[in-house]
Amino acid sequence: MATEHILELTGLSKSFGGNRVITALDLAISRGGVTSLVGPNGAGKTTLFDLVTGFLTPDAGRVRLLGRDITGKPPHLVARAGIVRTFQSLRLFSSLTVLENVLLAADSEAGMRSSSERHESARVAMERAGVAGLADVRAADLSFAEQKFVSLARAIAKPAGLMLLDEPASGLDGPSLRRFHAIVRALVDEGRTVLLIEHNLDIVRQISDRVAFLNNGRLLAHGTPDEIFAMEELAALYFGDDAAT
Amino acid sequence: MIPYAESLLIFTSLAVILASSLNLMLGYGGMFSAAHAVFYGIGAYTASLLALHVNSSILLCVPAAMIAGGVAGALLAVPALRVKEEYFVVASLGFQVIASTVFNQWVAVTGGIGGLTGIPPASFMSIQVDSYGGYLVLALLCAAGVLIALKLLVRSEFGRALRALRDDEAALQALGRDPVRLRVATVVIAAMLAAIAGAIYAYFTSFVNPESFSLDESILIMVMVIIGGTGTLTGPVLGAVFITTFPALLSFVQIPSTILGPTQRVVYGAVITLLMIYEPEGLLGFLRRISRVASFSALRRWQPSTSSS
Repeated sequence: MATEHILELTGLSKSFGGNRVITALDLAISRGGVTSLVGPNGAGKTTLFDLVTGFLTPDAGRVRLLGRDITGKPPHLVARAGIVRTFQSLRLFSSLTVLENVLLAADSEAGMRSSSERHESARVAMERAGVAGLADVRAADLSFAEQKFVSLARAIAKPAGLMLLDEPASGLDGPSLRRFHAIVRALVDEGRTVLLIEHNLDIVRQISDRVAFLNNGRLLAHGTPDEIFAMEELAALYFGDDAAT
Repeated sequence: MIPYAESLLIFTSLAVILASSLNLMLGYGGMFSAAHAVFYGIGAYTASLLALHVNSSILLCVPAAMIAGGVAGALLAVPALRVKEEYFVVASLGFQVIASTVFNQWVAVTGGIGGLTGIPPASFMSIQVDSYGGYLVLALLCAAGVLIALKLLVRSEFGRALRALRDDEAALQALGRDPVRLRVATVVIAAMLAAIAGAIYAYFTSFVNPESFSLDESILIMVMVIIGGTGTLTGPVLGAVFITTFPALLSFVQIPSTILGPTQRVVYGAVITLLMIYEPEGLLGFLRRISRVASFSALRRWQPSTSSS
């Protein structure tokens, strides 16, 4: 029987030295839709991404993808299991061209597809992210906004059911934000599930189907954007006490 | 004079193979290795033993040398690459020390310090390679073959992943690539290619001993790659040609024979040091700079005539 949750986190905890960064966190993400992780700086959002994608190993708790336990698996096996992620610092392959960057996402599916199919997949991903015209440009020579969309194209090229996007909209101007919004909604329409970290609450409100609020490594609330943004205590945590008054 | 020039070209071709194969690890994969001479040596000993005791056919000895080199590469890479990347160079140094000890002490197989002598000349079908010219053709063909193979490899999906690994390991992992597996494959391929040079060396000199495959040789190969310019196919070729031929060219300078050796070494060392200080991108970077200056000068000469017309 297929599980309705694509990702289930149960009792997830992580400490660095004596500092507890994630504490007994339970979160279930349904298939399809966009869930935004919000919370003040240091809430543990990126650490949570690292725990899910295998870059960190939890001290306790389990990570399940479509019911399959992937806790503690190395990042490349998590990626092969069906999770693709972007990074806050983008982490493009700077000496490679845009096409090569995107092809690497398609390449990692080698064995399933031929070379021409992988090139086609990369081309489609670049077009969807609006970076097809930059195919032969070295990643190091791109503007920040261009790099953001190449990072997104790389994630699109990998046919993973769950996409983890770490601050994908930060630093983008108005038109770029609208473009980003359209791309993400199109991905959801085709059945992908998106979990994103975002500080721009306007974007979160517009793009999200669900919002999860983290503070000090604990999940404080999980609900629709209207439900979450109606909670004054969360606004106080996010913006400081003055915001709630 | 001609045999000397032919011999120099043969050794230069072997150096090209060694530097280019190490460049796959160092320049494209970002792995510093102080053990490349081990693979060179294992190729030489494998080919020598087969030529002495079984058959001196290139079709037998070279592939066998490559397999032995590849196995040695895996022996180094599989355990060493599971630790942090920067420890690989230390692990490779240890591997070089162990291998040198084995070359020296396993007398029954390697002949110890005295080495293996009387290695029969290479043969191909019914043709026996028994002249300097023949070995020069063989060495040049092998060097060309290795360079073509490396060019194809670097342009392939494997090469793309290797260059990406050098840029950002975490990002590559996030796309589903296992960096350890990629690095092990790279070391194995580089070791197999280095072993080809070993086999040709053994045939040509008809004698192998541990001195040719010491830590000094490993460092010299690394210097060839760095001097030439890492991460390109041309750089290590330039480095290999420079390191192999420059000492020979210095021997034509008219200086008293009593101080010839030390003078050669001082000049040689000084040139390498100055090159690294003033041109960290190596000989390839130096040539590119000259090319840019030449293009700029040509443009300046061209502009006045166009503006006056």
